Amino acid sequence: MITHELSETAFARLAAGEADQTVVGELRQAQYSKHTMLLVAIAAAARQAATGQTGDAAPELAAFHAAYRLLTRIQETSPGDYAWLLALPHLAGWAHDTLIRLDQASAPDFAYLASLGAAAAIRARMPFELAVPVRDGSVLLPGLGRLDVAPGPGQERKSELRQSWVRLRGDVEQVTAGGGVSVPQAALRPDDGTGPLTVGWHGTPAAHAVADGMTWNVLLATDDAYLDRYTLPMSAGLPASELRRWRDWVQSAWAVLTRHHRWAAGPIADGVTVIVPLTPRAATDLISATSPAAFGAIATSWPPDPVTLAETLVHEFQHVTLCGLLDLVPLTNTSGARVYAPWRQDPRPAAGLLQGVYAHLGIIRFWRTQRHAETDPDARLRAEAQYARWCPAIDLAVDTLQRTGCLTPAGVRFTGLLRARSRELAAGPVPRQAGEIAREAALDHWLTWQIRHMAVDGAAAARLAAAYRRGESYPAAMQPGIWVSQDVRKLSSSVRSRLLALRYLDPARYRELVADEVLPISAPDRLLFGPDATAAVQAYRDQIAGTVDPQPDAWVGLTLALHRLPPSSLRATLADRLPVAFEVHSQLGVPADPLDLAGWFG
Amino acid sequence: MTSTSQGRVINTLIPDLRDVPLDRLAELGGSPLAQSIALYRERLKENGVPLSSFNARI
Repeated sequence: MITHELSETAFARLAAGEADQTVVGELRQAQYSKHTMLLVAIAAAARQAATGQTGDAAPELAAFHAAYRLLTRIQETSPGDYAWLLALPHLAGWAHDTLIRLDQASAPDFAYLASLGAAAAIRARMPFELAVPVRDGSVLLPGLGRLDVAPGPGQERKSELRQSWVRLRGDVEQVTAGGGVSVPQAALRPDDGTGPLTVGWHGTPAAHAVADGMTWNVLLATDDAYLDRYTLPMSAGLPASELRRWRDWVQSAWAVLTRHHRWAAGPIADGVTVIVPLTPRAATDLISATSPAAFGAIATSWPPDPVTLAETLVHEFQHVTLCGLLDLVPLTNTSGARVYAPWRQDPRPAAGLLQGVYAHLGIIRFWRTQRHAETDPDARLRAEAQYARWCPAIDLAVDTLQRTGCLTPAGVRFTGLLRARSRELAAGPVPRQAGEIAREAALDHWLTWQIRHMAVDGAAAARLAAAYRRGESYPAAMQPGIWVSQDVRKLSSSVRSRLLALRYLDPARYRELVADEVLPISAPDRLLFGPDATAAVQAYRDQIAGTVDPQPDAWVGLTLALHRLPPSSLRATLADRLPVAFEVHSQLGVPADPLDLAGWFG
Repeated sequence: MTSTSQGRVINTLIPDLRDVPLDRLAELGGSPLAQSIALYRERLKENGVPLSSFNARI
């Protein structure tokens, strides 16, 4: 059996973050085969399950087999519609989950294939008749919408239709559910907000974006359980007003992409077919996500502006393409040890870090251009600082990745090409203010991460503390072991970190908050956001030296404040060895000046 | 896992099923397709379905 081939040229383009529509087409073709392969595996399991099956699962299995036969016909007579179905992230998500359920010996949802088969038959305008599941009073037709089902005899209330079956019949003109609801076939389409309403039909919300001669059609998935698979819940049942807002911003973001980032627009139009709106835990969060189980879908909470949505599309599309490549060519041998990722608060496995690196390659390319497109000073500052913050982060993360030793030979080659491209993209100059803001935000992230997740050998730290108390010189040979251990210490400085990020993410909001006298930050933190860095250093120093209780937030603040002063050995020591200095100080048992201790480290 | 042919093409892990009718695939049960499926399921078991999730506000 032959396998899909990937040209070296396509591999190199992918590594450089330059997947054009041809390369995306290659990935999509491979997904077609992957999804066929998963379908065959599920069919084999269904055949096995059907042997002697007479219980509750019998209707599901019968529906599955009928749908499989229907798909065979559609593949033969209407290959374009069959390919549409195979490319649906809904099908991909269901196939992954079904395989996992089979492997875990939990009940698979065989019936969903009937919903998929019916959707493909309707799209192909092919006559069919199929038993399909009814949930909450309607039949789900993935990729198209939901069809209400009228209550049958003895089913007076909608609640009685929560989980049942109906025979769905379709011809070239009409689709009829059971003996009741009949809807024109042509009406069973997604709802992009421009078509007439059809009684009994709820088209999947969709956006039809057009700008600069380029078109993007994308579904806004809000009701399919197999796309509700992210760390935040899908925003189900969005009201019409919110759907309008999503459509408007998809249009605006599309205009940003077609005008300034054409390299990304074409591939995104081909490769992203579904956006899953997410409900964030906090209104200030902007969460976006991608799953390799649903190629072609990206998820995001409501973005603050169209430029941010455009950046999110570029970012998440990088994940989509990398997921497509990873299905074809493994780039890591194992998930790998957990390491620092400059864009995450938690330690990441190396395989996850690779995803982040690749996403940020797209991000720096986006901001590199976007900074020249912005005219508003705050928007320009944001774009410049975004560019300045993430350029060096890629180099650092590739170094980390290559040190883990978990890359395959293809992974080593991939990251080498990626790094070379990122260095080309990072070559542009950055205004001083944006550069400083970016460096400080990056430093705060690194210091905070170290304090939270870097454990220190306690016995060795105690020996160093004893040597310091005795007034001995620093024993250079005595280096305490350090290792990554998630949440080894707690910090409460998230407001300070958020403010540092807001300086460039939303400069107007930053100015407003810093002027707010009741902002919940410490007195030293307030000084940090003022003009007198020396006063901030002294305040943090006093806070730490004034108690034997550990003050991890103040140690991070002290190091940040020192970095606002001219270079010194003290600030280098704290930037490089903050967890060790903190741990030794905690073991002293008496109040002590943190800078005196840092000076002792040399 | 992967190999190169004349340095220009990478052979991948996914069998090319684009031109195979769905009803014929069932006949390939004991074939290399079954091995590909088993390999894929093994990878799924080992790695799960990793999710990339990003908070742009940090």
